[in-house]
Amino acid sequence: MLRYVLSRLSQAVLVIFVMSFLLFVLIGLMPGDPIENMFEGNPSLTPELIGQMRELYGLDQPITLRYWHWLMAALQGDFGYSSLYSRPVLTVLGPALLQTGKLLALTLMISVPSAIILGALAARKPNGLVDSAIGLFSFAAISMPNFWVSLLLIILFSVNLGWLPASGLPMTSDASFWLELRHLILPVMVLVMFHVGPLIRYVRAAMIETLSADFVRTARAKGLSEGTVIARHAVRNALIPMITVLALSFGHLFSGALVIETIFGMLGMGKTIYDAVGNIDFNLALVGLLLATVVVLISNLLADLAYAYLDPRITL
Amino acid sequence: MTPTNQMTQAVPTLTLSHLPPVQSIWQLRFEKFRSHRLAMFSLGFLILLIVICLMAWPFSALLGIDPNKTNLLYRFQPPSAEHWLGTDDLGRDVLVRLMFGGQVSIAVGLVATLLMAIVGVAIGVTAGFVGGRIDAVLMRVTDCMLALPLVPLLIVLGSIDLTKIGISQASATSPLFVFLRIVIIIALVDWTTMARIARAGAIQIRDRDYVRAASVSGANGRYNVIVHVLPNISTPLIVASTLTVGRVILLESTLSFLGFGIVPPTPTWGNMLTNAQQLIISAPHLAVYPGLLIFLTVMAVNFVGDGARFAFDPRSESGKSH
Amino acid sequence: MKPLLEINDVSIHFGMRGGLFQAGPTLRAVDNVSLSMNKGETLAIVGESGSGKSTLGYAVAGLRPPTKGSIQINPARPHSSGRDPVQIIFQDPFSALDPRMTVETIVAEPLRLAGVDLSNRRMRVTEVLEQVGMPADAAHRYPHQFSGGQRQRLAIARALIGDPELIVADEPLSALDVSIQSRILNLMGDIREKLGISYFFISHDFGVVRHLADRVAVLYLGRIMEVADADDIFATPSHPYTQALLAAVPRIGRGRRLRGSALKGEIPTPLNPPSGCVFHTRCPRATAICSTERPELLPAPGRSGQLSACHHKD
Repeated sequence: MLRYVLSRLSQAVLVIFVMSFLLFVLIGLMPGDPIENMFEGNPSLTPELIGQMRELYGLDQPITLRYWHWLMAALQGDFGYSSLYSRPVLTVLGPALLQTGKLLALTLMISVPSAIILGALAARKPNGLVDSAIGLFSFAAISMPNFWVSLLLIILFSVNLGWLPASGLPMTSDASFWLELRHLILPVMVLVMFHVGPLIRYVRAAMIETLSADFVRTARAKGLSEGTVIARHAVRNALIPMITVLALSFGHLFSGALVIETIFGMLGMGKTIYDAVGNIDFNLALVGLLLATVVVLISNLLADLAYAYLDPRITL
Repeated sequence: MTPTNQMTQAVPTLTLSHLPPVQSIWQLRFEKFRSHRLAMFSLGFLILLIVICLMAWPFSALLGIDPNKTNLLYRFQPPSAEHWLGTDDLGRDVLVRLMFGGQVSIAVGLVATLLMAIVGVAIGVTAGFVGGRIDAVLMRVTDCMLALPLVPLLIVLGSIDLTKIGISQASATSPLFVFLRIVIIIALVDWTTMARIARAGAIQIRDRDYVRAASVSGANGRYNVIVHVLPNISTPLIVASTLTVGRVILLESTLSFLGFGIVPPTPTWGNMLTNAQQLIISAPHLAVYPGLLIFLTVMAVNFVGDGARFAFDPRSESGKSH
Repeated sequence: MKPLLEINDVSIHFGMRGGLFQAGPTLRAVDNVSLSMNKGETLAIVGESGSGKSTLGYAVAGLRPPTKGSIQINPARPHSSGRDPVQIIFQDPFSALDPRMTVETIVAEPLRLAGVDLSNRRMRVTEVLEQVGMPADAAHRYPHQFSGGQRQRLAIARALIGDPELIVADEPLSALDVSIQSRILNLMGDIREKLGISYFFISHDFGVVRHLADRVAVLYLGRIMEVADADDIFATPSHPYTQALLAAVPRIGRGRRLRGSALKGEIPTPLNPPSGCVFHTRCPRATAICSTERPELLPAPGRSGQLSACHHKD
């Protein structure tokens, strides 16, 4: 087990290094120049001065060397300043990660149980009426542009009915739990829609396969009720592999969160990255993206380990 | 026992008159696809939609409408004989922009998918057929790509300043370049699905006896890939491609909505929604049409993909074939 | 005259997948095998699964280069360039035919690869289809419309179309129904008679082998245990392994019981073959020498044509 964990961990670390370099190069290709951005509109900035500043900041060096310097600083915990917020990037990203964490946690708490229930319901009678209805729903959920769903929900619940706020979640810590929850309802609804479609289809397929397996037939032959068979035997076996599917959907979920946070004005990771790229905040964009990647990779790693731990067929 | 000439009796020549008429696998599959009513209906819808979108040129010429010409005196016009779906916040005809936008969105979907199919199949088949180190590297790369958050990556790619990699300002902002750019960046982050499928198929076909038999007769790798592997992995690839078209249309619209894809004045269904949020109180209907079209198109594409999957599923195929 | 096929001291090893930093173990699928066969002869290679017989067959067909040693084919007739004097028939008739091709394209493939033009290919397809007992109108159909036995005929037709001298037949019967087996066996005998083709016939079944083979080689864990004329091997098997295999063949009216009982246990893994004589772990006659010294392939007592690799051979 330890060997497996170590090998997976070293793989993840390698991926993070490779990604950090790729992102470093990509972010460097964003429009604008860090120095000019820093002193935008400053009339005393002559070309000579820019040249001096570049030298000072090492921007005249080849990209590999610059990356090396950045990496050395980063490994000592110095991730640089955000030009947009004039603060160290980590102090910007910390609260953002927490915000996105809340959004994703709420989403998962709803999408996973509903996918299991709907998928299991659909699998009870493949191609029956219930299955067709649930199938149609999951197809629709997969095909809907999430930003459009957000707009529609805002029009319905915020503009027409006036029930729920469309944006403006206060970022102060004294915001009450209920106020925060009210602001989270619409974003979570959209994100659940976005997440649940493929999950339902996965659960349905897995359940149909499991329900035709020998051990389920044995359970039925023992005279167990259909409900017990599904709940005790089929669901458990169908759902262990679902951990992997869930983990793989994390990157996808993160993409959805970026769009939804942007629309609902929530200062989560997605919105922060979006703002950073839009405002050419090199440091914030780079570290934000890297942090998102690391979070997704860690969740994948944990899922793999959980899978290995739960599946009795895998001995490590 | 030594063989004798009584064998000719033991081996009577067969007659095939009892067999159904000659049908290739494609004929069988097409018949099955036709029985999937939702998929057939969706296919019809898509064809109709494409035809309508292509009518944008004659239609706008006939009515004398320029899709990109703004007219602040005619903002938020209700539907009229001249502007069938009214006008938007800059006084442009909504219907004509939807038609032109559809061309762009669908074209991005098709071209990006084609590009991914070519790149993915080339890499996947090479990895699967050759194996070894290339294969190991490919699998690691695709593993990572599968888990990465695509949209954040795409907005970075979408914001890259092309003049920094030596492309002139003029060509970087030309419509063709803007189109190609979005096609390429989407293909760049999403080709791995296709490569994985092609690889899995190539590995399976590589060890089939008919490929071995061809090798005995002197076939080289290229012959086997073109003649045996590609036709036999076309099934999963077609299904995957169809689903990819839907995914690409969604990705493009998301990027364009966020302002990192195709930028106005060129309309796409995605960027037509960019301003919709600010106008939600004054003109909520503007938020409905483009999104609805994206939704219906992607849904139809997915149904066609589902129909293809159903038609190609060997478990529901009448003849046994590997 | 040179023999049609000469296998000279051939070994075929596979490097197994190892870890990131260490090489994997080596699988010795075929180990120091020498065999030869004359034109028109049928050589049967008999062994259990895992004996390396298919690997040896693939090497003869040119699908797998030997790790050591050489395989030489000396065709008696001149062959035009590209047209191969060796062809192959496989076990699984479902995997042997490309489902996307018509029968005509499948059967004509060796000619296509040899650059024969279309009209000549078509003519030959009609000829060989007739030779294997398939009607000419099968040419435009697809494999999925045929049964296993019919597909095997089509596979034979493809093997015949390039006018080969040697056909490697890799267990061509074992995937078929028993009733179909005998028909295909008869067809193969018939073809040999008419066209003077030699078979490199791979099988695990002595019952099938005795109908077709002129010579028999018994393979165990990649090594030859015994090789002799078919008549000799059936009449007086020398190696205890051969005897055990023959004892397992059900036969009516067998006179005397052969010595040695049915085989016990599983074939050991070729990744880690037993020392000395590889068969000693399952041999009823094994003694101390068997686990230390590898027996050489030498004539059985009083039969110079029958070679057997055993310290205690009959």
